[in-house]
Amino acid sequence: MTFSAFDRRAFLGAMAAGGSLVLAGRPAFAKGSVTAAMYPGSWEEAFRKIVVPALKTSKDVELEMQPLYAVDQIAKASAARGAPPFDTFVLDPGPRVSGLDKGLYEKFDAKKLTNLGKLPEGLVDEWGATVAAQVVGMAYNPKKLPPPKNWTDLLKEPWVSRLGLTGFQTTFGTVSIIEIAKMYGGSETNVEPFFTEIKKVLPKIATIGAPAAMAGLFQQGQCDVIYANTQTVSTLKSRGVDIAFAKPETGAVAFFTTMHIAKGATEVENVYKYIDTVISAGVQTELAKSPYNFVPVNKDVALGSDLPMKNLDEMSKFVRHDWAKINPLRAGWIERFNKEVAK
Amino acid sequence: MTIAIAGGALDAAGTGGRRWLAEWQLALPLGLAFTGFFLAPLLILAVVSAFDDEQITRIGFAQWIKFLGDPFYWKVIFDTLKLGLLTVGATVLVGYPLALVYLGARPALQRILLFIVVLPLLTSVVVRTFAWIVILGREGVINGVVMALGLAPAPLRLLQTEFGLVLALTQIEMPLMLLPLLSVMSRIDPNLMSASAALGALRWRTLFRVILPLSVPGLMGGCLLVFASSTTAFISQSVIGGARLVYLPLLIWQQSLVVYNWPLASVAALTLLISVTACIAAISLIGRKIARHVDG
Repeated sequence: MTFSAFDRRAFLGAMAAGGSLVLAGRPAFAKGSVTAAMYPGSWEEAFRKIVVPALKTSKDVELEMQPLYAVDQIAKASAARGAPPFDTFVLDPGPRVSGLDKGLYEKFDAKKLTNLGKLPEGLVDEWGATVAAQVVGMAYNPKKLPPPKNWTDLLKEPWVSRLGLTGFQTTFGTVSIIEIAKMYGGSETNVEPFFTEIKKVLPKIATIGAPAAMAGLFQQGQCDVIYANTQTVSTLKSRGVDIAFAKPETGAVAFFTTMHIAKGATEVENVYKYIDTVISAGVQTELAKSPYNFVPVNKDVALGSDLPMKNLDEMSKFVRHDWAKINPLRAGWIERFNKEVAK
Repeated sequence: MTIAIAGGALDAAGTGGRRWLAEWQLALPLGLAFTGFFLAPLLILAVVSAFDDEQITRIGFAQWIKFLGDPFYWKVIFDTLKLGLLTVGATVLVGYPLALVYLGARPALQRILLFIVVLPLLTSVVVRTFAWIVILGREGVINGVVMALGLAPAPLRLLQTEFGLVLALTQIEMPLMLLPLLSVMSRIDPNLMSASAALGALRWRTLFRVILPLSVPGLMGGCLLVFASSTTAFISQSVIGGARLVYLPLLIWQQSLVVYNWPLASVAALTLLISVTACIAAISLIGRKIARHVDG
C-alpha cells in the first residue's frame, strides 16, 4: 500500500497543523484571565481554593496556575527569552534577585493596587509586591528533644545526632546556614566557620538530605530537629506530627515572598487585579488559617497564635539578608557543600 | 501492489523504491518528533557546554576543564556508574530465579506472575520511593524488627547509604529487568529442556547450558534498561540517597536550576550521557559475544 500524492499532501498538512498547535504554546484564554506561576503543593492548593473563586467574584478574572518552584520559574522564563509561559512570578528573595539580574520583570506600578495602604512600609517596590512572609527558625520533636535555644545548639548533643541537614539549594536552608556561620564568627558573605564546625560533627548528623524530602524524613523519625519555616511546622502539626517551632535567641529569620510581572506578559492589567486580590484582607485571612498557615502581610489581618511575633511591625526586628550579596557566592557554597558532606 | 506485478520487472524496481519511501513516511511523525525534541536540544546542549561563562557569551572550554580536572567530579562519575552496575547485579540475582519460576509455571500462574511484575509500574516512582523511607527509616519496618529481636543495640543506618539505595532501586527497577527477560524466556521451546534431560543433563547443567544461553538477549535487554534507568533515577537518588551520596543527576539539577550555570550543567549532562552510553555499549557487546559463542 502506498500513500497517493494527495494523501501525502493531506498528511503533511495535518502534521503542519498539529505542529503549529504545539508551537503556539499556551492556548488563548478568554478575555479576563491571568496565568500565574505558583509553588506546587500547599500554595497551589490554597490558591485554588481561596484566590481563584475570590478573583472570579470580585474582578471577573479567571486564574490559571502553572505549578513551578521559584528556581524553575526563573529557569523557564530565561529559557523562553521574552515570551514567558506565565504572566506573574511568585518568588523567594534569592530567585527574585536572579530574575532582576536577568531582567525578567516588567516595571510594577504599585499605585494600581487598591490595597496598597494595607501593606506595611517597604513591602512594595518598583519591581513587585510582597504577598506573604516567611519566618525561619528551628523545628524539633518535643517528645524526644529539649527545645534548642540557639543555632549553635544544632551542632551540639543531644541535637546534632538527631539533626536533619539540608544545603544551600533552598532559601530557608541558605539563611539558616548563614545564621549558624554568624554564631561562629562568620557573616552573610562568609560561611567558612560553618564548614569548619560541620566537619567536626559530620559523622554524627542523622540525615543530610534533599530539601523536598525533609518533612517526610522528620515524620518518619529519621531526624528530630531541622531548620524550617513556621508554615511547614504548622502544617505538620495539623497532621498530628510531634513538632514545635523554636525561635533562636538571636531572632528568627524573616524573608518575604514577592510577586512580579513577567517581561512580555500579555495580561498586565489582570495581573494587578490578581495581586490586589491576593493581598486583600479577606483572602489573606483565609490563607492564614489552617491547613495553609500563611504568614499574612495585610495589616488588617490577625497573626496566627503559633507565630513568634504579635504583629507585623515586630518582623522589622527579625534577621534579614541581602540576597544581592549572597547570590554570587551561592554556586561556590553549593559546590563546597557537595564536596564536604559527600562520602 | 497488483499494478507493480502487472507492470513488469522494470516498473517493479521503481515501485519498490517508492514503496520504500512510502513506508519510510510511516516513521516520519516519530522521526520529526525525535529530531525536534531530542536531537535539536541535544545539539543546543553541546553548544551551551562550549561556553566559559554563565551568561553564555564567551566561547571556550573552561567548564569542561573545571569539570574533568576535578577529582571530586571523577568520583561522582564513577559512583554513578557503580550504582548502575550494582543495581543491575542485584536485579539479575533476584529477577532471574523469578523468571525461572515463570518459565516452569502453568499459563494461569504465568498471567498472575506477569501482573505482579507489572504492578509496580502502575504506581508513581515518587510513591515507591517514599514507601522505601517508611521501610528503611530509623523507625521503619526493618529497624522495628531488628530492635524487637534485639539484633542490634541501636537502629541501623539504612536510609541514605549506598546499600539502602541499591536495595530500593532493585525493587523500583525490577519490572524493567523482568519484562524483556520474561518475553524472551516464554519463547524458549520446552522440548529443548526435555531433550537436555533425555540426553542425561542434570537440572543445573540444563540451566547453564540451555536456558541461560537462550535467555541472554532478554537478560541483556533488561540489564541495559535497568542500568540506564538507575543511573539517571534523580528522585530515588536524592530522596533515598540523600546529600551524602552525590550522583550526576543531582549535579545537573543543582547547576541548571539553583546556580543557573547552564554551561557546567550541560557538561555534566553530556558526561552522564556519554559515560552511560559507553557502559551500555560495553554491556551489549558482551551480550553479543556470548550470543555468538552460544550459536557457534
